Amino acid sequence: MDIRTLFSNQTNSIQAATKPDAMAAAAAEKFESFSATLANAEGEAKAALSGNADPHALVTALAQSELAVETAVTLRNKVVEAYQEILRMPV
Amino acid sequence: MNDFSNAIKVTASGLHAQATRLRHLSENIANADTPGYQRKTVAFEAVRAGTGEPTTVSTGPVLLDPTDGERIFEPGHPLADESGFYEGSNVNLLIEMADSREAQRTYEANLKMFEQTKEMSRGLYDLLRR
Repeated sequence: MDIRTLFSNQTNSIQAATKPDAMAAAAAEKFESFSATLANAEGEAKAALSGNADPHALVTALAQSELAVETAVTLRNKVVEAYQEILRMPV
Repeated sequence: MNDFSNAIKVTASGLHAQATRLRHLSENIANADTPGYQRKTVAFEAVRAGTGEPTTVSTGPVLLDPTDGERIFEPGHPLADESGFYEGSNVNLLIEMADSREAQRTYEANLKMFEQTKEMSRGLYDLLRR
């Protein structure tokens, strides 16, 4: 097995593994649920400010959005870190 | 929905149920001197949303305690009968206070679970932070 077949094998396996459409659809779904969580928290906060909401619902919504934001921020940091790692790679 | 957000949801339902219970208890205590008042009791019910969904708690229908109220002798009272007695409420303040203390303790336990859930998820994400 020479270097060319190795390379083509790797390229093939990478293309098979990523499947951009499926990944994009899954990511879009996650982002939609993330923004729904944030919108829910925002709605609860508005309702609580105008005095017609249960404080427990507000606390639940805010805690859920805190969890979601924390997840998103951690993921983003990890992605940026990986990107920087690639940039630092000696060519 | 992951387990952490499910745990938060369940805990919040517990907090809500205890708050509702406390409201009914305070209604009983406020009406302890109301003639003919029957104390309200409220039972908790497990709510099963479906398979894979967490089991939350909610308060069931409000029931009235059917026991007779205390008979109070006060001939001048507008509600007094021929013998001079009228029926007061059947609220026992000792029971209501004990119940409200129990509601407080359970509420605190649920608050603790809330904090614990957040702490655990933060600990999990700290693994990725370095």
